[in-house]
Amino acid sequence: MTDSLSESLLGAMEQRRGAVAPWLGALQGQATEVFKREGLPNRRVEAWRYSDLAKALRDDPVADATPVVPPSLQRAALAAFVDGALDDNASSYAQIGAVNLRTALGEKDSPLAAIIGKVYPQAGHPLVNLNTALLEEGLALRVPAGTKLDLPLHLRFLWTGAGSDGRHLRLLIQLEEGAEATIYETHDGAPTFSTVVTEFTLAKGAKLTHIRQESFLAGARQAAVTLGEIADKATYRAFYFSQGGQFARHEALLKLAGEEAHAELDGAVMVAGGRHCDNTTVIEHAAPNATSNQVFRSVLAGSARGVYQGCIKVGQVAQKTDARQLSRALLLSHKAEIVTKPELEIFADDVKCSHGATAGELDANALFFLRARGIPEAEARAMLIEAFFGEALDKIENEILREAVAKNVSFWLTTHAGEAAHVE
Amino acid sequence: MLEIKDLHVNVHGKEILKGLSLKVPPGEVHAIMGPNGAGKSTTSYTLAGRAGYEVTKGEIDFFGEDVTTLAPEERAARGIFLAFQYPLEIPGVSTMNFLKTAMNSQAKIRGEKELNAAEFLRAVRAAAKELNISEDMLKRPLNVGFSGGEKKRNETLQMALLKPKLAILDEMDSGLDIDALKLVAEGVNKLRSPERSFLVITHYQRLLDYIVPDVIHILAGGKIVLSGDKSLALQLEQNGYDAVIAKAA
Ligand SMILES: Nc1ncnc2c1ncn2[C@@H]1O[C@H](COP(=O)(O)OP(=O)(O)OP(=O)(O)O)[C@@H](O)[C@H]1O
Ligand SMILES: [Mg+2]
Repeated sequence: MTDSLSESLLGAMEQRRGAVAPWLGALQGQATEVFKREGLPNRRVEAWRYSDLAKALRDDPVADATPVVPPSLQRAALAAFVDGALDDNASSYAQIGAVNLRTALGEKDSPLAAIIGKVYPQAGHPLVNLNTALLEEGLALRVPAGTKLDLPLHLRFLWTGAGSDGRHLRLLIQLEEGAEATIYETHDGAPTFSTVVTEFTLAKGAKLTHIRQESFLAGARQAAVTLGEIADKATYRAFYFSQGGQFARHEALLKLAGEEAHAELDGAVMVAGGRHCDNTTVIEHAAPNATSNQVFRSVLAGSARGVYQGCIKVGQVAQKTDARQLSRALLLSHKAEIVTKPELEIFADDVKCSHGATAGELDANALFFLRARGIPEAEARAMLIEAFFGEALDKIENEILREAVAKNVSFWLTTHAGEAAHVE
Repeated sequence: MLEIKDLHVNVHGKEILKGLSLKVPPGEVHAIMGPNGAGKSTTSYTLAGRAGYEVTKGEIDFFGEDVTTLAPEERAARGIFLAFQYPLEIPGVSTMNFLKTAMNSQAKIRGEKELNAAEFLRAVRAAAKELNISEDMLKRPLNVGFSGGEKKRNETLQMALLKPKLAILDEMDSGLDIDALKLVAEGVNKLRSPERSFLVITHYQRLLDYIVPDVIHILAGGKIVLSGDKSLALQLEQNGYDAVIAKAA
């Protein structure tokens, strides 16, 4: 541990330990020990080879415009975070029974002790550990058995760039048997450095829809991890949109723990300039008859870099697993790059697993067809790029959310018209 | 309206059209027939302005303007329409959205007023009805899962809505059964007018029974080797290309 950022992070960890309730203190103590050993994730760690967080934090920050506050949704329970702090006055999450994690952390005992750090535990995960050692804010939501929340929970993160030592958040989501909920998580602006770890558990037959939308400015540096355990007949439906940042990474580490559990992940990446966006997934099939399907679509312009690492693990008991993953990339420039790393670890014999990756330019035939009908080149390209994400967007059931995400896609196309229009 | 003068075209560095000349006056229907690989599709793509079809010599005059260097969308807006031999499937683009964007883009390039939503719907519904195209097909992504006949009907629908001055039909009859062929030909015939010309590319006499041409040109080896009236098609049908071309030479 030689660099000054690690030193100051460690200092913050030591300080934090004295300040929190004992039920968290022990956990943070262990995490601090791991951090002392492992330090910040860097490219010498295989899983971080293409996304070197330690280096990104050492690099000079990219200068940015002022972030724009994203509009509130018409019908949603809002949790408004500004620079990582939950603003209760601006929020309305209480109406669906969510609680402020900061409040809970100050209490002598908390029912959250039973879940925090306990969902699909990743003992050596450097980022999860860092987050655990430093977490101070967040939100917890428990949806009782049989309850279907009408209102989506909007977790709205606005990052103004204040707080260079980092902001570390934890989100805890528990859906009891048969419960249903939708979470819309948006990130705007540019955190200097933030980590967000989400832990969710889905009991039998529960259904969680998770829409993450990273509309960062160019200088954003964030690493996020979503940890989930999915019981029998429960479903996790995710849509991850990201336009990258100086460093943007999201990992989905999911365990299909019960029979007929299902995970459906759609990724939409739109990166330009020198941005970086990493989607890493590990899906563990730990029970028979579970299914998973992931399609990550990326549009890369400028000299942007996209990373998709998808690992499927099928345990010996997980017969009749059906697991699919696909990465499709459109390269709008010769300097843009996509790194795809699929991994299959299969220990059961009666399974269907597939993975695939394609990368190429926009279809020249389709482009000519549209232009021959009178649609100018730039517009024709934009149409085809939107169409590329169409199938994924169509799967978002909530119409308001579908439109909100679609708007992000078209907004990106307007603001990056130059880069989308030319192959350099 | 259309005058092609001594057109030479390279594709991937290989000369495919070798001095093609052709004149289509307003209101006329001209057919281009010729053996496989003669350069018929190359001619249609070159007229539409496709990248990779490099004009090395000659010009394409359209209403007195040389359009050889214009982008495809510019040519479309001036009234050149190519009905594709193999219409493309474009997943994720709805037929309706595509039609609206195409019509309004052309209007914009020409400096005309764009259609509002109601005017557009009315126009599409009327044209679709004539071609027996269902609302369901219009809602589907462009040509995705359409049968061969449906795709050609969809091309005809686009032609009806875009109202070109010159329509180039590249093997409109390929993949059509006789009923579909009649329907498409009827659609085309309805669009015939003194202001609109057609260039009908086909292998077979059959299509020309339904869309009766004023002039037939035979394209072989990258140029027009013979032109004549519609009886030429019958000669071809009876004697084959080789004999007719040999006789012309
Ligand atoms: N992209 C290409 N690359 C190389 N050669 C090409 C290309 N496109 C066409 N050609 C060649 O140009 C010649 C003319 O092709 P074209 O498609 O114009 O013929 P056609 O008359 O339309 O034939 P068909 O009746 O089979 O449709 C052929 O020899 C073909 O192989
Ligand atoms: Mg052809």
